[in-house]
Order: sequence, then C-alpha cells, then structure tokens
Amino acid sequence: MGVRRWIVRLTPYLLLAPGMLWLFVFYVYPSVQMFISSFWSGTLETGFTFSFDNWTTYSDALERYQPQFLRSLVYGGAATIVCFLIAYPLAYTIAFRGGRYKNLLLFLVIAPFFTSFLLRTQSWKIILGDDGILFGPLKDLGFLPPEFRVLATPAAVVAGIAYNFLPFMTLPIYVSLEKIDVRLVEAAKDLYAGPWRPGGTIAGAVLGGLVGAVLGGALSYPILPLAVAGAILGLVIGTFLISESFLRVVLPLSLPGVFAGSLLTFIPAMGDFVNAELLGGSPQTRMIGNVIQSRFLDNNDYPTAAALSFILMAAILAMVAIYARILGTEELTSAR
Amino acid sequence: MSAADPEFTEETMSEQRRSPAAPAHSEITRRRFIQGTGLVGVTAFLTACGTSGTGTATSSPAATPGASGEPSVAPTDAAPQSPSAGLNFANWPLYIDTDDEDETKHKTLEDFTAMYGTVVEYSEVINDNEEFFGTIRPALQGGQDSGWDLVVLTDWMAARLIRLGWVETFDLANMPNKVANLQDVYKGVDFDPTDDHHAPWQSGMTGLGYDSAVTGDLSSLEALWTDDPRWTGKVTFLTEMRDTIGLTLLKLGKDPSQATEADADEAVAEIQTALDAGIIRAFTGNEYAEDMVAGNVVLAMAWSGDVIAKQAEKETLVWQLPDEGAMLWTDNMLIPKGAQNKYTAELFIDFVYDPAIAAQIAAWVNYVTPVKGAQEVLAAEDPDLAESPLIFPSDEVLSKVKIFKSLTEEEETYFNDEFSVVTGN
Repeated sequence: MGVRRWIVRLTPYLLLAPGMLWLFVFYVYPSVQMFISSFWSGTLETGFTFSFDNWTTYSDALERYQPQFLRSLVYGGAATIVCFLIAYPLAYTIAFRGGRYKNLLLFLVIAPFFTSFLLRTQSWKIILGDDGILFGPLKDLGFLPPEFRVLATPAAVVAGIAYNFLPFMTLPIYVSLEKIDVRLVEAAKDLYAGPWRPGGTIAGAVLGGLVGAVLGGALSYPILPLAVAGAILGLVIGTFLISESFLRVVLPLSLPGVFAGSLLTFIPAMGDFVNAELLGGSPQTRMIGNVIQSRFLDNNDYPTAAALSFILMAAILAMVAIYARILGTEELTSAR
Repeated sequence: MSAADPEFTEETMSEQRRSPAAPAHSEITRRRFIQGTGLVGVTAFLTACGTSGTGTATSSPAATPGASGEPSVAPTDAAPQSPSAGLNFANWPLYIDTDDEDETKHKTLEDFTAMYGTVVEYSEVINDNEEFFGTIRPALQGGQDSGWDLVVLTDWMAARLIRLGWVETFDLANMPNKVANLQDVYKGVDFDPTDDHHAPWQSGMTGLGYDSAVTGDLSSLEALWTDDPRWTGKVTFLTEMRDTIGLTLLKLGKDPSQATEADADEAVAEIQTALDAGIIRAFTGNEYAEDMVAGNVVLAMAWSGDVIAKQAEKETLVWQLPDEGAMLWTDNMLIPKGAQNKYTAELFIDFVYDPAIAAQIAAWVNYVTPVKGAQEVLAAEDPDLAESPLIFPSDEVLSKVKIFKSLTEEEETYFNDEFSVVTGN
C-alpha cells in the first residue's frame, strides 16, 4: 500500500514529465545558452569570451534598434486589429449561422495551412505585384496612379502577417462563441434587448474612426480619410448590426476567445520576419525579427542577436501582463 | 587598373548564385527557410551527404585508406598518390554545367569519374559565405576534418580561411594545368601570393541591370540616384556590402580597391540620400532578378549572370557595365585543412583547368572563366558564346572593373556596421 501511495503521489509528475522534458530541452536549455551568449564579446573568427561587463550589448542594441522594435510593435498590433476585424464576423457567422456547413466552413478556415506558409506568402507577392493581377488592371483603368504600390510598404507586411495568422484569431473566437447558449440571447430579447440605438451608432462611429486612424498611422497612409471611412463604416455597423443582446450577452461571453486569439496572433506577429522579408525588403519595413535573423545568420553577431531576443521576450511578457490585467485572465483560467 | 590589381578580394553575393537556366525564384525562400527553421534539417542533410560520400568505393582503381570513413590519417603527409574513391565537393547552387533533363547529372563530374574513377559527391550547400563558414568553423577550429575535400568561397572569405591557416597548401606538382592556364590577372593576389592555397572557380561582375522597355538605355550609375518617375520606388540595391558600397564609391568617383573608412561613411551617406528620396525600394539578394521579370523592379544593382539568365523570360532586360566602372568578384576553390582526399581534390582542380572542361562549365554558368584557352575551345563549338563579354571580358572591360579592397578584420567590422545602418540590419 506504501507503493500505491507513492504511485498516486508521483502520477502528476510522471504526467508532467514529457512536457517538462520537452520544455527543458527546447526552451530552457537554449534560453540559458542564449543568455550566456548575450554576454559574449568577440567575433566568430577570433572566438568569443564571456564577461558580465558586456551587459552594454543590451543597451547598445536597444538604442540602435529602437525603430525596428517600435515597428514590430506597430505592425504586430495593426495585424492583430485587422485579424480581429476579419475573424470576429467570420467566427460569428460560422458559430451561429453555419448550420450544417459548420464543419466545412471551419475546414476552409484552416485549409490554407495545408499549403506551405512560404508558398502562400510568395503568392501574395504575385497578387500584390506592382503591375500584377490586382493593381495592373486598376492602373490601366486609371483608378490608381501608375506609381502606386503596396509591395515593399508597411501595408504589404501587415497584410501578410494578418493573412498568415488569421486562423489563430478565428478559431479561439469561434470556440468561445460556439459554447454560448442561444437561450441566453433569447432571454435577453425577452427582457427587451433590442437594437442598440443611438448608443451603437455613436460607439460604432467613434470606434470605427479610431481604428481607421490607428491603421492609417501604422501603415503610413493618410490618417484623416481612413478615420472618416472607418467612422462611416463603424456607424453603419453600429446602427444596423449590433443589437443590445449582442452587446450584453454574446460579446462579453466571447471575450476569452478574443483574449486568447489576440495573444496567439500578436506574440508571433511581433517576432515575425518572413513577411517583412518577402513582402517588404525595404529598410523602412524591417522588423526586429529581421534584425535578429540577420545578426545571427548573416553577421554572426551572436551577442547582439541574443540580447535582442531577450529584450523582445521581455517586452512581450510585459505587454501581455498589462493586457491580461486589463482584460482579465480569470475568464480564461476559471474554466467556466 | 584593378583587374591586374593584386588585391583580389572583391566579394560576390554571399546570397545566391546566379546562372543561366537558374530560376532565381526559390533562392531567398530556400535560404531563409533553412535558416529560419531547419538547422536540424541542414545538419541531417549534411550528414546524409557525408555518408553517401563514403559509400562509393567500388569504381575506384585503388580505394585509399582516407576515402572510406576511417579515422583521418594526417592527410597532408600521408596522402596516397592515387585518386580516392570519392570526393566531397561543396559548391553554390547552379554553379556547374547541369544536364537539361536531369539536374543531378553534371557532365564535368562524369568526365572526371571517367578519367580517374573518382565519384564526386557534389553538394550545392553553399548559399552564403558567412553561413557556410559557420558550418565548417567548429571542425576546422578544433583541428578536425570539415567533411569537405573541396569548397568554393568568395575572395574575402577565401582570404579569411587562408589567414586562419584553415586550408591545405596545394602540391603544385599535381596541377600542371592550373599552373599553366590560370589567367595572369588572377596571379599573385595579396592573400595568396604564391597561388598555392586557392584556385579561382569563376568570376562575375556587379553593374547596372535594367528593363530597357521602361527605363530606356542607361549607362551611368547616376541613374540609381536619380528621382525619375519611371523608376523611383522600383530600384533595388544589393545586401552584399562589397557590391553596394563598391558601386556607390565608383559613382562618387572613388576607387573601391583603395576604400578607406572615411569612404565607407561617405558611401553610406550617399546611399541614405537615395533611400530618403524614396528611390530605393529594397535591398535584396538575388531575388531582384525575379522581381525584374515581374516588373516590380526596373533598375537594380545586378550580377551579370543573373540578368543574362533572366533574358530568356524577359528580353528587354539588360546588364550594363556602367561608365563609372563595375565591381569584379571571384569565387575560389579551396581544400579545407585536414581534407580526407587532398590529392584527389588537387587532381580535380587541375582537371577543371583543362580548357575544354573550363569551356564546358563557362558555357553553362555564363560567368567569367579564369582559364586560358577556354575561349579558343568555345570558339570552335559556339562562336557566339565565345564572343560574350560576360564570359570573356575584353581588356577594355577589364580596365573598368574594380576589385574591392582586401579588408582587415577590423575594417570589415567597421564597413559592415556602417552598411547595416542603411540596410536596417
């Protein structure tokens, strides 16, 4: 019976063991290794020496690559907003209007994953080509000036990131919407939840305007026209599509999904470098991931690359902590 | 007068190689992908290459001790003077004549097998000088065999390996062709005055590439700094420091073969003006070639072979030797220290210095061959190709090309750092 007790006691650890081992080998060990190399000095040719005096690598890196850090934050944030704007209606439609096509629609959301991520990004390059299938005809018809382009601009990078991470936003939101008991909505309606006017109209216009302005700023497009367009769109949506039952029942209950989805999108988006490489390429669209990538592999500047990685990690942790504070993780962890 | 300049330390694209039938579309993709995700895969791949390299002992007349995975027998001294069964050769993609039907077949390598019985394990694993250096460094630093018998690296990287003492010294008695047929301009370079540590493989030029249908005819590097609605925002510079800084210095009327740190500052400031004016769209490896075909890029700092290759897809593409001059770079064969099959590697180097073989390679890769007599051989087979100034540059062309200065390690760090300020690295 002593043995039995021991087994019972050990079970949780045994169950945790594979995961812990995995994390240790592929996360803890490389992190330690990287932490050590961030305090190296020297070159590949002469070899590296370790010293804590080399902490200046951190401050130098932070100072020198501030623009790229900022850009990653902005692009990651913009891509997350775009993802949310596309994913929420999509997930909502699948969850509540999908009917018997629900599974098919969900499959379609993840279908792009069956193709190589690089291939898909590369094909964006073809679609967005200066005289490609999208802009070529528009230019011929005179809707766009001949010098107009999206490739190698922030818009291309953000669009690429948003596209590549869309399923990570859609699926968690879908799951949280799917769980909602429709009877709650019916109950809300019985309790006189109707169209949300004029609150929806005002809130829609304000939020739409804000989102337009933020995206315009992030993508270096004219802010005012985008803010106006956003406000008009938001006004229409707020007036006609948002009901009180949505506002008071569906939206709050779906927040855990939004929270999870935005983290799953924002964190990898901020560290992404492939989109900036393939769809950007310009020094003005380089993200911190590109810098780390080229410091590591092209310049063999391991200390700076390692220091940048740690700064990025710390920055993301801090931001996630603040975000969790605001939106609250209890919703997620309390397992309702 | 830089072609004869002994400082043969221009660099090439550490990015991708370019070549005729060589579609460039997969370059960055493949490279970044491997870099980004697959160190494990690369290792596995290299291991696979290594293993298959040792398993082909049958065709050898005299299988040598060093050939088949036995512990290294200090090859320099004990190298048996008979060809080994295998030869592990690392080169850049699409940098040797390749069969149109079967891209694993290379006539030059088959000819070598026919002559010596050695099966060449040919691996296109070099995509970037620094990156490849990173893979062989640990072994060489530890005094061990890198696994390769022959590698091809650009001058500045070759210079680094020679400086570090990580390459074998050739036994020139084994390479009469190389001694006799190496073009004079390549002889006595500063990093190898005795010409017995490296052997040039191919050279190429960096100049102006443009789509003549859009830009009209151009001949001056000024165009890269001219805000013109026809090409503003559709211009690319290269990520290769020596190419971009080199051409910028030429534009400024300075000599890249004598570049100083002050010159680097000035060049970087000059590049910044083009960047600020919105002329430069991006800094690229050889993806610019693909973008030129797609019409996203109409004017670029370009490698000669790339543009020639892409003419098949877009006839209006032009590679132009700029009025101000162009950059010349050379890739070199080296035998890493401790190579298992040094003698066979020497035989191979000598083999490709046979004018007939050199002509065979040059005709396919479209780059400048360093071998005397190749032009005459080609003239008999394909007179048009033998006239190509890109494979056989005339003295007039050679008088206009510059080789980037051979930088000390300190200078190199300085130049790279300055350059990375404009490229955002």
